[in-house]
Amino acid sequence: MRLFGIETEYGITRDDVLEMDPVVESMELVRAYVVASFERRWDYTGEDPHEDARGFRVSGLQQDKEEDEFVKVDAARPFSFHEMKSDLVLPNGARFYNDHTHPEYSSPECRTLRDLVAQDRAGERIVLRAAERRNRVLGGDHVRLYKNNTDFHGHSYGCHDNYLVSRSVPFSDLVAGLVPFLVCRQVIAGAGKVGTEAQESGHVPGLYQLSQRADFMEAELGVDTMHNRPILNTRDEPHADRQKYRRLHLIIGDANMCEYATALKVGTTRLVLDLIERGAAPDLRLDQPVAAVKQLSRDPDFKIAVRLQNGRRLSALEMQECYYESARQTLAGSDEETDWLLKEWEEVLHLLTQDRSQLIGKLDWVTKQWLLETFMREERIGWDDPWLASLDLEYHNVNPEQGLYLGFEAEGKAWRITTDEMIEEAIQNGPSDTRGGLRGLCVQRFPDQIKSIQWEQIQFAGGLRSRTLDMGDLFSPGAVRRCAKLFQQASSPTDALTVWNKERDKQV
Amino acid sequence: MRHNMMPERREGPVDPMPKPPTPEEGSGPRRPETGSPDKDNLMKRMRKVDPKQAERYRQRTGE
Repeated sequence: MRLFGIETEYGITRDDVLEMDPVVESMELVRAYVVASFERRWDYTGEDPHEDARGFRVSGLQQDKEEDEFVKVDAARPFSFHEMKSDLVLPNGARFYNDHTHPEYSSPECRTLRDLVAQDRAGERIVLRAAERRNRVLGGDHVRLYKNNTDFHGHSYGCHDNYLVSRSVPFSDLVAGLVPFLVCRQVIAGAGKVGTEAQESGHVPGLYQLSQRADFMEAELGVDTMHNRPILNTRDEPHADRQKYRRLHLIIGDANMCEYATALKVGTTRLVLDLIERGAAPDLRLDQPVAAVKQLSRDPDFKIAVRLQNGRRLSALEMQECYYESARQTLAGSDEETDWLLKEWEEVLHLLTQDRSQLIGKLDWVTKQWLLETFMREERIGWDDPWLASLDLEYHNVNPEQGLYLGFEAEGKAWRITTDEMIEEAIQNGPSDTRGGLRGLCVQRFPDQIKSIQWEQIQFAGGLRSRTLDMGDLFSPGAVRRCAKLFQQASSPTDALTVWNKERDKQV
Repeated sequence: MRHNMMPERREGPVDPMPKPPTPEEGSGPRRPETGSPDKDNLMKRMRKVDPKQAERYRQRTGE
């Protein structure tokens, strides 16, 4: 079983000011979550977005120029870079910080879909609690947060799903197997969007599409993430032993409100990665994948067939059926989660053509479409009415008193993978079988002794020299649990590390 | 643009629940309660949304 996780950038706004400073507001929101004063501990040394998985390093990113402009503006603010980022590591092993003017919750690494969905929902509640605290300071319910991907004015922000992949799989195999899948994945994972837009250009109402992000895909492959966004991001930041692993960083996905959609988005992608590793992925390489991702997003009735390199033409559903069939033939019986995924995947593809109404509460684009069309009938308005974009936005509001999806869910009508108790537990603790849970445990037990922290290592202060917990190759659930037990029982991180390093030396 | 409306939702999902992925993890996805969503409540909430909310909503480009 491979590890995966989700990073979500939230939209943030205030209704009591004419012009909001998103840097300050995102920073203040993150800090509102901390009871004690903020202390800088995040270690950025593992981050280099210029490394490309195709085997080279780019000299610059499209966003660098814009970033330089922001740096000039930011230099005039009374905060340091680290204060503005306000990087936190939470007791569940998640990272919560201000990323590019958006509050971002990056889940801890998960091994099961149930844990992943619980951690994703935990993120919604953590940002909501931060907003509630911030609003108390502001003296009113002014800050609103949106788990979506567009501002309807040509500005997009991301929800990235990440997967641990063996470095032994050639990157070209990942490209061939994954790009067509990502182009058609939106039939399951799309969050739905009213109208169309493009990078930094205005919103055009009048139609409903499957995906929030499709309009912003401009390249098949690339290392960029803020401009010229690629279907398959080639950033090579493994956050693990570089000799053994890749971190596949997918930026095409929408932020899902439906738990079921989140589970299927990540679950089916996991199955396709399993197929690629076994050399069993279908060959559906597309003639024009960038055009296809937009065409298919604007085709909720699945009438369009896109051209493959071999000359065949397939609809999004037919492409999905090819992937499903390969997965069924190759992976059925691998484990219970795989069998559950195969059953659900098959049923969803069937229902999308036979009875889409049964997917309300399971898939976001279907749920949103149903809500909007019901409203349109009641109010006698059409797809070109600007009210619909506002309703689209409010579908993603994370305040359960305001959000349309959360209102729908509160009526007990959404399909749930988690319970509220599981989400509360996920706020407190990370998965016990991944390094994410171990990271969170260290934050809980030894917060004052952590000198620096990041995805693959924790450096503890104390004594004459700092001690490091290296997690770059700590992926076996048994090893994680043994290490966690030591940190749970030890009176200091030094004691735990002494025993742990001895155990590791024996294994070597 | 022509666009096919979705049909009204049926009276709740009728498909059986999948078995749990693993015994210790409890149930699989839980089916919603039967019956259509309370459209009155949801419609009331939707009518409260300011039609100009999206027009005012501006963000900086993220990742």
